[in-house]
Amino acid sequence: MTSGVDRLSERTASRRSRVGWWARPDFAVPAVLLAPSIVLLLVVIALPMVQAIQYSMTDGSLLKPGDFIGFDNYIELAKSRAFWNSLRFSLIFAVGNIVGCYVLGLGLALLLQQDFPFRGVIRVLLLLPWIVPSLVAVASWRFMLDDRDAFFNQLIMMFGGDPIYFLTHNDWTIAVVVVIKIWRSFPFMMLSLLAALQSIDRSLYEAAEVDGATKWQAFWYITMPQIANISIVLCLLMTIWTVNDFDTPWLLSQGGPAQATENLVVLAYRFTFAKNDVGAGSAISLTTLIILMAIFLVILRLRKT
Amino acid sequence: MRVTNSARRGLWFVVAATATAVLNVPIILMVLNSFQTTEQMIATGSLVPEVYTVENFVFLWSKTPFLTYLKNSMVTSLGSTLFSLTGAVLAGYALSRFRNGLLSAYATTLFAVQMFPIILALIPLFLLFRPLGLIDHPLSVIIVYSVVNLPFVTWMTRSYFDSIPIELEEAARIDGCSHIGAFLRIVLPLSGPGIAAASIFAFLLAYNEYFIANVFLRSTESLTLPVGIRLFMQQFETDWGSLMAAATLATLPTLVMFLFVQRFITHGTIAGGVKG
Repeated sequence: MTSGVDRLSERTASRRSRVGWWARPDFAVPAVLLAPSIVLLLVVIALPMVQAIQYSMTDGSLLKPGDFIGFDNYIELAKSRAFWNSLRFSLIFAVGNIVGCYVLGLGLALLLQQDFPFRGVIRVLLLLPWIVPSLVAVASWRFMLDDRDAFFNQLIMMFGGDPIYFLTHNDWTIAVVVVIKIWRSFPFMMLSLLAALQSIDRSLYEAAEVDGATKWQAFWYITMPQIANISIVLCLLMTIWTVNDFDTPWLLSQGGPAQATENLVVLAYRFTFAKNDVGAGSAISLTTLIILMAIFLVILRLRKT
Repeated sequence: MRVTNSARRGLWFVVAATATAVLNVPIILMVLNSFQTTEQMIATGSLVPEVYTVENFVFLWSKTPFLTYLKNSMVTSLGSTLFSLTGAVLAGYALSRFRNGLLSAYATTLFAVQMFPIILALIPLFLLFRPLGLIDHPLSVIIVYSVVNLPFVTWMTRSYFDSIPIELEEAARIDGCSHIGAFLRIVLPLSGPGIAAASIFAFLLAYNEYFIANVFLRSTESLTLPVGIRLFMQQFETDWGSLMAAATLATLPTLVMFLFVQRFITHGTIAGGVKG
């Protein structure tokens, strides 16, 4: 790939002295090719972002633009319980999901590395939770735990326990949201870690076997160090996607009960579209962006090493 | 030796099959219960239908706007696939064949867009779209989907272009073809399978999407499937039979498309999204 690029640019090098840098084919051609995408990104991401910064400093509603009020929205936010509550839940949501889907994803990836019949079919079936629409995922889980006759309570009662009302109890709802998110995320982890596992040099294991290492030692001293970097990047990516997730908490319980499962995105949505407070909604969204950017910069750093 | 080996294979198979079955319980229960009505569920308390019936599906078809939702989903998904594919094919080719500062900046931007909290753009876009009459209009959702899906689709097309040998274009260029000409006449016709897979993924992502559609589409006539079925969850709070039937039906196209393209997935997502 790289050699091809060099060859293409060598051919154009002869023309280099005569025209400006922007008109050279190795700049102008890709620039033209990127143009449609860049226009789309400008219209849908860049310009709205600038506008959101502006809105976050006004007291406008969805119906009329407001006046400039400086950083008042941010100050209000820092003083509000709802904000700290959603920050706390976002943290629980992210950490719970990462631990859960990493452990499950790695376990299944290691399993899929073993040799057994119908491995391809099983691999595809394990991806189903990831590809069903978010609404379907949450609806099917709600079906299993919505009332006292639902699947989980039938199981609990079969073992002699008392039924649990999962969606009316703060802590239970938080646990359920995390579990559903893990369920929706583990296939991505599994697939990515499987790719990483398959790229480990086999001779490392052969050498370890010659040296008399046990399976456990081989896993701990070869496999884990080899996938450490990609694991960190994957976990950070997953952190960002979890913080950004609106569908799981919203579709399960609209952030309830009593805002127990309201993350930053749900909070921003509720302020903007339910409470009609565009300024506060934008301020929350921008705060989210700043938190995510910090994580993103760490990822960029790690990818270079 | 041979016996122990096949015994081990069998054991791993049992472990893997059990794990797969347990993890898919929500989906299995959903499909099973789409074949029993809510009345049946209440009467028998059974999670597996004692009598299988298609009543739920008939109800969906005749008494609910399910077909309208389906049509809207098709329009928005096809529209956004068209837009994002156009952008992604051109950009993917540029990323595959050239190297310069603009391209690496673009690649980083694209990577960042995958992590962008889209709510931030939705608020200003809502205020922009309303005076333009785009709320409740498929175009609003189509435009936003095209951008949200752009990174993924671009990585996929790029990695496919990477697999096409550059010598073919060089030969065409020696014969007097321009850069763009070589792309249109040589690379594009060879990229059929890759572009088809990328299109299906773009379609799938749009078809499954809930959040953005929920912001821009509000009237019953304009809703896509996920937003429409969500309404079910509120309106018919306990009508689990219809809800499971609607969810099962809505999942079918996703499943079929996914089975076609799942082998491309290691290329696109993983290679693109993670390794850059």
